[in-house]
Amino acid sequence: MCFYSIPVLLLPTNCTLSTFFRSTASMISEKYIYQKLSLCFFVFIAVLNIDLSAQDGKILFNSKCASCHNVFKNTTGPALGGFQERENGKWTDTKELLKWVKNPPAYMEHDAYTKGLKAQFGSIMQSFSDITEPELVAIASYVNTTFQKGPGGGTTTATSSEPNEETDGRNAILFGIISLIMAVIAMILMQVNSNLKKLSDDVEGVLRPEPTPFYKNKIYISVVAIAFFVVGGFYVTKGAIGFGRQKEYQPHQPIFYSHKVHAGINQINCLYCHGNAMESKHATIPSTNVCMNCHKAITSYEKGPKLFDEEGKEINGTAEIAKLHKYARFDPKNPAAWDPSKAQPISWVKIHNLPDHVYFNHSQHIKAGNVQCQTCHGEITKMDEVFQFSELSMSWCINCHRDTKVNFYDEEKGTGNKFYSIYEKFHNDLKSGKMDSVTVKDIGGLECQKCHY
Amino acid sequence: MQQKKVRMKKSAIIFSFFIIVITVLRCSSDKREPGTAYMPDMVYSRAYETYASVDNLHEKGVNYNSTPVAGTVARGDLSSYPYKNDSIGYVLSKNVKNPLPTLDAKDYIEATRLFLVNCGICHGDKLDGNGPLWKDGDGPFPSAPRNLLKDPVTANMAEGTMFHSMTYGKNMMGSYASQLSTKQRWMIVHYIKEKQRLSKTGETVK
Repeated sequence: MCFYSIPVLLLPTNCTLSTFFRSTASMISEKYIYQKLSLCFFVFIAVLNIDLSAQDGKILFNSKCASCHNVFKNTTGPALGGFQERENGKWTDTKELLKWVKNPPAYMEHDAYTKGLKAQFGSIMQSFSDITEPELVAIASYVNTTFQKGPGGGTTTATSSEPNEETDGRNAILFGIISLIMAVIAMILMQVNSNLKKLSDDVEGVLRPEPTPFYKNKIYISVVAIAFFVVGGFYVTKGAIGFGRQKEYQPHQPIFYSHKVHAGINQINCLYCHGNAMESKHATIPSTNVCMNCHKAITSYEKGPKLFDEEGKEINGTAEIAKLHKYARFDPKNPAAWDPSKAQPISWVKIHNLPDHVYFNHSQHIKAGNVQCQTCHGEITKMDEVFQFSELSMSWCINCHRDTKVNFYDEEKGTGNKFYSIYEKFHNDLKSGKMDSVTVKDIGGLECQKCHY
Repeated sequence: MQQKKVRMKKSAIIFSFFIIVITVLRCSSDKREPGTAYMPDMVYSRAYETYASVDNLHEKGVNYNSTPVAGTVARGDLSSYPYKNDSIGYVLSKNVKNPLPTLDAKDYIEATRLFLVNCGICHGDKLDGNGPLWKDGDGPFPSAPRNLLKDPVTANMAEGTMFHSMTYGKNMMGSYASQLSTKQRWMIVHYIKEKQRLSKTGETVK
């Protein structure tokens, strides 16, 4: 910013640019330039200094205090926002603050307020014996400015854009209406045509039999019947194929849990909650305590985009977190008293249901087969409410087994899965170049009893 | 006779029309409902599957316990940790040594994976305490996760204390005992200690 101000400072207030250039050589003395330059330099340093100390306050706060203190809410320790107004402004005295921070147990001996804090939060603050007074001032000013700005820092996060599906739906309706109007116009024109023909026939005196109305016209009837047969047949066949399948199934869940917010925006790994997918038949739904790993601290929904359910109703994220706290028997106002063993399971609705006569194992596909979750579950990181992305039909399984290559152990590169070493013939064929790859089909992926037994 | 035939034909048309309408309505896809199974032969398991309701098992005379018997150890896992979740246990934990031998290359990769899945979300993939949930204070988590390499509390923490904190949770961190087995937790302790050693000596490759 300061570099831009150099020419402005050098310019005498009522002097134009051309006179300035003419004058630089003769009129302005070297001393004048030096004076202005040095002034500018000092301004620059001062600006830099203010910036540094504010920046320092944030870094210091994050590295020393933020593990236990938040500006706005009680975490391990009390919220720090407005701390200098507490205790009749005792903490505005930096000396007093320094004494407390350097050795909390000693300070607590003769101070009832901090003793009370210990009783409330259940632990004593860690000693920061190496902290200095300017550092404390920087931290205090950072805390005060952040507190004044309010939660969210005064910046608003971008709200999610309108879903595309809605516009798509509108377009479909529009096209439907247009084609309906066209059809009506065509009908009217045909009627007009036949009426005109009749009129001209009357004038010319040609006698024709009375035209049959269109609903008795055999051509019309047969065209409609064929169209009905084709369209109806398509839907009947499609519906019959879909018997017992639940693609797109998207039930209401007891809590509006957004995978988009958790796995998408906050980048939580799928296996953090569904870790058993590596070890078990089931990917498993996390128990309430896994939710509480984070939601013991995150008690409100503030920083993410606005949430909407499939019906377009806005969802209050904080209220949904409160529902979780109810299941967990957790009181956000008194987090220290929480007993995880009292938590109740949340009755989530299972979306992906396979009939009992099919065997499917997650660990086999994820650990041995290295299949990504998204291959079968779709772009879960973009779903607010999860729906069944895949058909889970037999043809869907078989198609994937036909295409997917098996990761055989490669002796030269040292990569791949040694589990498949029993398939000696395929290894030899791969080496001799008879086969270029082995698919799941080749190692028995299409055998009935692999999945049905 | 002729009239009766016509009437019958008419009623047949009306009847089939109703059948079609009802079928279409029944088959219309409400994606909030799972639908009903057509001839549910071998669709529902007769055995108790995962997530089947266990509420009425006791009435049927089935003895069911959702938690393992105290003191039992899962096959292939390490023996359980001796101390309780209290301040005494926390202090005593520093005497517990890591029962696992130093990680070999394969186990190190697995420990890295476990760390990134379970810990990296807060403590960061570089162990700098700046994971996606904190993001220098811009993330949703209200407390800064510890910098595992530079924060004096964690950098000098004993192996056993680290394990104690993972097992029972500490401050704003929750318990990871349900997500990680005893062995996996000790593997992560090895991984963190190795990373701390590397950062002190300035090496970058193991």
